[in-house]
Amino acid sequence: MNTLVIVRVGERQWHALDDDLVVGRGEASPRPDGRLFLSIDAWRDPVFERLAEVMLAALPRPVHTVVDEADLDLTARWQQAGLTTRRREWEYVMTSGSRPAPAPRGVTLLPVGSAELRPLRRLNRALHAEIESSVGWDRMPATVLSRPLDPARHVVAAEPGGYVGLTRLMLLPRHTRIGLLAVRAGHRRRGIARAMLTEVLRTSKERGVASVSAEVDETNTAAIALVEAAGAHRHGSTLELVLR
Amino acid sequence: MPGATDGITVEGIVVECLRNATFRVELTNGHVVLAHISGKIRKNYIKILLSDRVLVELSQYDLNRGRILFRYRN
Repeated sequence: MNTLVIVRVGERQWHALDDDLVVGRGEASPRPDGRLFLSIDAWRDPVFERLAEVMLAALPRPVHTVVDEADLDLTARWQQAGLTTRRREWEYVMTSGSRPAPAPRGVTLLPVGSAELRPLRRLNRALHAEIESSVGWDRMPATVLSRPLDPARHVVAAEPGGYVGLTRLMLLPRHTRIGLLAVRAGHRRRGIARAMLTEVLRTSKERGVASVSAEVDETNTAAIALVEAAGAHRHGSTLELVLR
Repeated sequence: MPGATDGITVEGIVVECLRNATFRVELTNGHVVLAHISGKIRKNYIKILLSDRVLVELSQYDLNRGRILFRYRN
């Protein structure tokens, strides 16, 4: 370990070399909102520490990373490097299946693949603007992003005047993951979100998927109430750490 | 696919999800290793579930330990 050398191998990539053998790797990736997220893979603590030291000296602040809260070793390594907890996301898991939750009067639910692309884009832009001006995208999990926007991954709530809510899904072979569930500001508190969530649970059951998961920021009490009312239970948590 | 790696990589199936963010993975040769997920997988919020087919990089220091580099679609 005395010959450990850290080499920057790309604009945002580092290798730790010990006798020319790669014994650790570090990477910084920008999110669409511009924030830099770090990752380090190293089998041994001294390698992690050296990589973190070199990367943090080279990168602009703030820098972020995410850790599974149950991974105490990794969390401790980042904390020793100076990062502190910025926020927590709960991971909730729900059982798929049918539950009675009809759409509110005047609202039609468009199942996966049924929405039209142009109004879906309009709704997506409007929701982005509303979230940006309220809680902010930086409190949202990375999974909310969908490029390109694909109707095959969305359940949509429609009114005669246009689309008012969407649920963005990651449809894995044995699992459904909710990336974003959002309703336009003027249409909330009418049961639209609950109806969309029910539709997701129903269609997941239909395609043979047993469970549906969603990540929720611990401060988002409305979202927590929504998923817990659908029978969701906490399965784990993710911490976002930051060095400012 | 994952980026270049100097380590030994082997395909396997996740046979147990443990509570401390680690997994037991049965490799194609029948050997079972204790694996955690790579930073890239963690950063991209990719979920690893029971029975997932994954690519594991074995530790240079302990062949009973590994790091999940990639989750196959099926």
